[in-house]
Amino acid sequence: MKETDPIVLVIDDDRAIRDGLESLIRSIGLRVATFASAADFLNAPRPNAPSCLVLDIRMPGQSGLDLQTHLRASGIHIPTIFITGHGDIPMTVRAMKEGAMEFLTKPVRGQELLDAIQKAIARDRDLRQKRAEFSELRRRYESLTPRETEVLNLVAAGLLNKQIADQLGNSELTVKTHRAHVMEKMQADSLAHLVRMAEMLKRSMTK
Amino acid sequence: MRQPMSDTVKISGLARAILGYLAAIAIVLLALLISLVLQIRFGNPFWFFFAVAVILTTWIFGKGPGWLAAALSSAAVLYYFVPPYDAWSLSWRDVPFFLAFTLCQIGTNFLIAARKDAEEALRRARDELEIRVEERTAELKDANQELVRRIAEQKRAEEALQAARAELARVARITTVGELTTSIAHEVNQPLAAVVANADACVAWLAHEQPNLDEARVAAERAVEGATRASGVIKRIRSLIHKAAPERAPIQLNHVIQETAELAAGQAARGHVTISTNLLPNLPDVLGDRIQLQQVILNLMMNAIEAMSAVSGRNRELLVRSRTDESGCVSVVIEDTGVGISEEAMTRLFEPFFTTRAQGIGMGLAISRSIIESHGGRLWAAPRADHGSVFQFTLPGAGGAKA
Repeated sequence: MKETDPIVLVIDDDRAIRDGLESLIRSIGLRVATFASAADFLNAPRPNAPSCLVLDIRMPGQSGLDLQTHLRASGIHIPTIFITGHGDIPMTVRAMKEGAMEFLTKPVRGQELLDAIQKAIARDRDLRQKRAEFSELRRRYESLTPRETEVLNLVAAGLLNKQIADQLGNSELTVKTHRAHVMEKMQADSLAHLVRMAEMLKRSMTK
Repeated sequence: MRQPMSDTVKISGLARAILGYLAAIAIVLLALLISLVLQIRFGNPFWFFFAVAVILTTWIFGKGPGWLAAALSSAAVLYYFVPPYDAWSLSWRDVPFFLAFTLCQIGTNFLIAARKDAEEALRRARDELEIRVEERTAELKDANQELVRRIAEQKRAEEALQAARAELARVARITTVGELTTSIAHEVNQPLAAVVANADACVAWLAHEQPNLDEARVAAERAVEGATRASGVIKRIRSLIHKAAPERAPIQLNHVIQETAELAAGQAARGHVTISTNLLPNLPDVLGDRIQLQQVILNLMMNAIEAMSAVSGRNRELLVRSRTDESGCVSVVIEDTGVGISEEAMTRLFEPFFTTRAQGIGMGLAISRSIIESHGGRLWAAPRADHGSVFQFTLPGAGGAKA
């Protein structure tokens, strides 16, 4: 199995449950890493692969809910499946608010858990891809010169070359050259593609 | 109101005075008559009848008429019995006699009047005393009633306190049971979760096109381990419950029934239920935990009261009986005239969490049965002949029954 294959991260303080879940998940060909506590998990290196977290809500030390809150606060977004002995309502509500993917009660049926894991991993894969695409876009955008950035913004605003030249006090030819550089650096197939990318960047930056 | 009454008193006082004086005259006349008759018959002057007349008059009618009688007597004696007879004159020879007679009359009147006054004062004092005693008695009676009322109030307060304590104990017990249940549920659920995960993994490994027997075996072994662990947890809980075994002391169930009936009285009154008991005298003691057995009886009585809350058109009666059988077992029978128990409910009555009430948790009868069984007895229910139901439990007698 490769480093980039999906991996399931199981955190449960009960060794027997940990081993059972590990075996179950491995049986469908997924990679598994198990941890006895939230601290163990936080100390381990983060895998660079689509992953999801299977978390016992009640654990000695840092509870599953606390860990989830902690991860979100640190900007780490991993789809999380909670497992609970008896899901009381306030706990469930809190977990859902923190963005839990799934909330399963113990003892969890294997198929139910595997389905939830598959869904969570698919979602993470999606998220990772989007994040990767976006950081590539960011990289391209940051490679533009200040003048090229200005041209890109004005093009995205729907101005014609002549209007851009007037606004920047340049000749139309210079603007055309800048624009060609922008298209090349941003790897845009068409004007529409470029505008779409500019929109995406703008949205993320105003966020 | 007051004025006419004192008028009546005055008038009757005057009338009595007039009557007294008239009577004085009559009595003296009678004495004179007797004296004259005796003198004519025997020749001697029996003037001492006048003394009797004065005594009588003073005694009956008081000092005033007494004086009149004395005066009239002296006049009569002077006129009829002192020579010269039948004349108002008096010879010097007879003056000492006449004076002695008159002084005697006056003295008699004085003594008798004094005596009469003393008696009158005594009577008044006695009357006053009687009134005082009555007043005091009334005061004492009031105080006594107040005391009785206070005692009753205190008793009520004590009963309320006891009921509150029983309720608290019940709630505490339920809470403890709840906490215990949660912790047991968690303890048992953990290994069960491991069993399920491992068994699922085992099945998954076997389901591969080329079953991975090694992985399947390891998972199956772990499932077995988990199951063993779960049963270990249950064993531990069992031994824990045994360790906390209730105390066993001789208990007179009749007392427990009476106490419990008092505890339930408030609830019964609110539900218009009459509680009656039919307790076997000299009921043998049973060995057990008094609080637990009281809990059972209270629970059964409360159930019975509850079962009658919707009844109308017949009396709401709760009867508690205690009996014994030839084997020395003691049994307690609780009958109600309530709505009874459906056949379907009858089969599930003692199951935990089975309830027919909106706010019941369905543990009462299950706990009651487990208490009775832990005492070596039995608890069961049956429909009553007409309406309602009969709950009954038996316990072995403390004197070594052949239960």
